[in-house]
Amino acid sequence: MGLINNIKSYSETISLSTEKKGLLNSFLENGFPTIKDEDWKYTSLKRIISEDFSIEKNGNDIDASEISKHSLSFKNQLIFVDGELISSPQIKGVTISGYADFESRNNDAIMNLNASLCKNGFSISVAKNTVVEQVIEILFFTTTENNFSQYRNQIIVGENSEIKFVEKIQNLNNSTSFVNYFTQINCDKNTNVEFNKIQNNTSNSILIDNVDVYQKDNSNCDVNTLIFGGNFTRNNLNFEQNGNNCESNMNGVSVLDDNQFADNHTFVDHKSAHCRSNEMYKGVYLGKSKGVFNGKIMVRPDAQKIDAFQSNNNLLLSEDSTIDSKPQLEIYADDVKCSHGCTIGQLDDEALFYMRSRGIGVEEAKAVLTYAFASEAIDNISVSEVRLVAQKLLADKLNVDLDFSL
Amino acid sequence: MLKINNLKAGIEDNQILRGINLEIKAGEVHAIMGPNGSGKSTLASVIAGKEEYEVEGGSIDFEGVDLLDLTPEERAHKGVFLSFQYPVEIPGISVSNFIKTSINERRKAAGLESMTAKNLLKMLKEKMELLSIDKGYLSRNMNEGFSGGEKKRNEIFQMAMLEPKLSILDETDSGLDIDALRIVANGVNKLRTKDNATIVITHYQRLLDYIIPDFVHVLYKGKIVKSGGKELALELEEKGYDWITKESDKQWA
Repeated sequence: MGLINNIKSYSETISLSTEKKGLLNSFLENGFPTIKDEDWKYTSLKRIISEDFSIEKNGNDIDASEISKHSLSFKNQLIFVDGELISSPQIKGVTISGYADFESRNNDAIMNLNASLCKNGFSISVAKNTVVEQVIEILFFTTTENNFSQYRNQIIVGENSEIKFVEKIQNLNNSTSFVNYFTQINCDKNTNVEFNKIQNNTSNSILIDNVDVYQKDNSNCDVNTLIFGGNFTRNNLNFEQNGNNCESNMNGVSVLDDNQFADNHTFVDHKSAHCRSNEMYKGVYLGKSKGVFNGKIMVRPDAQKIDAFQSNNNLLLSEDSTIDSKPQLEIYADDVKCSHGCTIGQLDDEALFYMRSRGIGVEEAKAVLTYAFASEAIDNISVSEVRLVAQKLLADKLNVDLDFSL
Repeated sequence: MLKINNLKAGIEDNQILRGINLEIKAGEVHAIMGPNGSGKSTLASVIAGKEEYEVEGGSIDFEGVDLLDLTPEERAHKGVFLSFQYPVEIPGISVSNFIKTSINERRKAAGLESMTAKNLLKMLKEKMELLSIDKGYLSRNMNEGFSGGEKKRNEIFQMAMLEPKLSILDETDSGLDIDALRIVANGVNKLRTKDNATIVITHYQRLLDYIIPDFVHVLYKGKIVKSGGKELALELEEKGYDWITKESDKQWA
């Protein structure tokens, strides 16, 4: 059957608005992107979409202990089980609800699929002049097997407000799952927003993760992406700066082994003057894992005096791992500062011997050097709990019992 | 403690050590001197277990075990420490984190629990005082952006923290000004006990004014060609190496 047929059959059983029908038809006409599409050149969905994912949901009960096992234990939690919002916090100045319809860009097949059929997700709205001190943790649990699910979320942050998030998508069984996720973040003037994504799902999970950020004057938005788990992960992270003096920060750490695949596609659209963007992606590849990085920076004619920085550094720790890295700069303004760099390397033998001569075992020495390599990006994350999780997952992944904190 | 017997080692087809014999007892300080290229640093690296050197023959007995059978980390666990001539920069790892990991890996190998944070901090403080190191230094990245002198001081700091039985100081004096040299040498002297031993590798006699050796050996073309007491170093300072090397060349011809 394949996924696209299942989607078609499912859509015939429900009623859709004319607008959504249009989006769905546009998806069905073009189907999922293929490697002929420039943005998917190194990332094939062929194997995934040929599988028979079901769209209907048959949820199971979930244990509280299961939730705590996967959570970072923040006080404020939004918990979804099979798409249903089962718990949400009360926070002064913040309105939280389940899925609410909103418009998004419609120039992308996968986004159109999400916009037309998705009915799950959250809507968070932060009032003006509100500083939310406590981190909001968002957990999406899936109990169903072999399921295709979608989430569609919106975060609206009012003027002069601040908020931080940590998010995880987690399967509670080890079967194959496919998630098409989308979050739109609107940052009003003078806002400060941090969104941390911990992508550490089970080894059969497939994720297409889309985040669009729209920023107004003097806003600051950080999106940090930590990829440790999953079988296939594609992140599309887009920033659009629609005001002067904005700052967009992206930090990424991918640590992959076995046959894991992860693709980080970022796009920063500098539309306004005096803005900054900083992008730091670190990839560590073991086993037969494969990574893709594609960072596009667009500097529009009005975006004078911007400062855009991008780096993608990769460590290949095995013979069979690969990375495709591609920076793309399009600059149409003449008074700007843009820099980018990409490195692909191995661990330094001198440093390894140095550490071993101090009594640090070879695997531990490799782990310490790998941590040192990734730490530049990890250290940019302001939420200490997230940094600790990153350290722990990294040690687990490299199979060492080390504590990197002091 | 250490007995090196007819050690031959080299790199690829180039033999550098051509039969080293050396015996060191607990409590002793041995200086190894010699002209550039004589094999001093190679000897240090081979004792510590650097894998790019190929050992062609001989043995390095350390307290009844042949070090040549052990990995570099196992040698460290036994109590061997090499102060590097060129310490490696490791961005992303703080000095304190690095030292903590070294200590705990050694403890793990000995079947001990990790050192508590409290004890570790106490020990760090104590050893920092010994070497006149200020506190901000602990949070700096390992050797990153350190001056030559800071790097060497960091080596001795690690030595102080790891409390090895056998320390090999490879050209610890290079890159040190006279004040730093005095501090480092003073640290080394304070760490001396009757149970540990030190090998000081140096090109110049200068360091030996501060760290007084019990024995001085001259290494030339991969062999120890002359051994003596501390006065040999002074003689070398005065006369240079020529009188020894010429004699050896004559003999070998």
